[in-house]
Amino acid sequence: MALELIDVHKSYPMNVGRKHVLRGVNAVFHKGERVGVLGRNGTGKSTLVRILGRIEAPTRGSIRASMSVSWPIGMAAGFQGALSGADNTRFIARIYDRPVQATVDYVESFAELGEYLHMPVNTYSSGMRSRLGLAISLAVEFDCLLVDEALAVGDTKFGRAFAARLRNAGLIIVTHQPSLVRQLCNRAAVLDRGTLTFYEDLDEALATYNSL
Amino acid sequence: MSETSARPLLVDCARQQVRVIGALILRELHTRFGRRRFGYLWLFFEPLLLGGMIAVIHGSGLRGGSGIRGTFEFFSIGYVLFFAFRGMINRASSTISSNRGLLYHRQVTLPDLFFARHIIEGVACTGVMTIFTIIAVGLGSAFPDSPMKMLCALGLMVLLAQGVALVVGAVTSEWEVVERFVHAMSYLMLPFSGLFFMVEWLPGWMQDIVVWIPTVHIFELLRDGQFGDRYRATYDLSYVAGWILIPHLLGLTGLRLARQRIGLE
Repeated sequence: MALELIDVHKSYPMNVGRKHVLRGVNAVFHKGERVGVLGRNGTGKSTLVRILGRIEAPTRGSIRASMSVSWPIGMAAGFQGALSGADNTRFIARIYDRPVQATVDYVESFAELGEYLHMPVNTYSSGMRSRLGLAISLAVEFDCLLVDEALAVGDTKFGRAFAARLRNAGLIIVTHQPSLVRQLCNRAAVLDRGTLTFYEDLDEALATYNSL
Repeated sequence: MSETSARPLLVDCARQQVRVIGALILRELHTRFGRRRFGYLWLFFEPLLLGGMIAVIHGSGLRGGSGIRGTFEFFSIGYVLFFAFRGMINRASSTISSNRGLLYHRQVTLPDLFFARHIIEGVACTGVMTIFTIIAVGLGSAFPDSPMKMLCALGLMVLLAQGVALVVGAVTSEWEVVERFVHAMSYLMLPFSGLFFMVEWLPGWMQDIVVWIPTVHIFELLRDGQFGDRYRATYDLSYVAGWILIPHLLGLTGLRLARQRIGLE
């Protein structure tokens, strides 16, 4: 079971010509792996996440998924701002065919939102949003979580609880924070100039990233 | 729920789509009417109030109606159908933008967003039509000649509006200015829609023109169901079917293209 990218290119139309963001990305993410993808600002991290989440189609190349991958969990993603965290949880539980009440209970106990769970998501801080997204995705039990710059992870109570739960699930986290990769991942890759390079050794990946 | 690289079965896709549309319907009800206990009543209240007022103004002799044109149900129920038609088309331009966040979930497709709204509209419309029919009978009118024909007219009106709404949604996602024309057009259509007249009442040369308007056929079918033999209905359902099918094809194709162009921030 894996998620596989085969020679993926992505470009966007500009006023003049096209901007080539990804230029031939090849990658295999296996089930249970926890992969950190490091990239500087503007190297196409968010584009890569949307392609991995299969909510945007590549301009060229293909994606094969034989495991379930979450939606891209980040600060903005996947919520209806006017609805409460609980209502958003119910919606997501329904579309992923999960028991609704059990999912809400899990999020209530895990996301540390307190009364805010019943307030509109618009009123949340970015940390609260990412906690909500991460908690829901753990409840849905994807084979692999796809995380885009989640602020809430880190050395906090929630961050440690999240890291502990990850033992049962795979993870792809796309970030510019080397500390996150060191905390959560067992494999790393660096995104630079439109291509993705994998390193079996975390230190080597972090050293390469720091020298960019 | 593991996904395989093999093409999923059609029946699984259908099941997923039904699930997504169901979730969207509940979500839409919550966003539009809140979670308070009587919030859903607004769904019926707005068309009830509007249709009722129009019927009172036109049917009460203020504007001088006679025959079936003077009855409560001629305007009230007619207006409910027009109200649904106009509401669906006017809301189409905001359907994508107000739901953009949900597109982060790959099983949510653009047409699903529209279908969910339209199902709500259809159900509300059926409810209000039933209420007006009961009121009309209570006011002393005869029971409708064929409720089945009335429901068919309602269904066709929702489908016609859905086709147009899909096209409007696709076009406005690329060119936002079109929205302004849509609002104006949907309002200006009111006198020509068939809501205020029966084809039979018009002079011959006008009859030849109005039969090109698809909503006219639907209103004729509605009134055939309401009043039966009390006048001669003029409708061609295959013409209406064309007006439903072609915009659906254009709209669904347009949304497929639009999906690739919509940026998720």
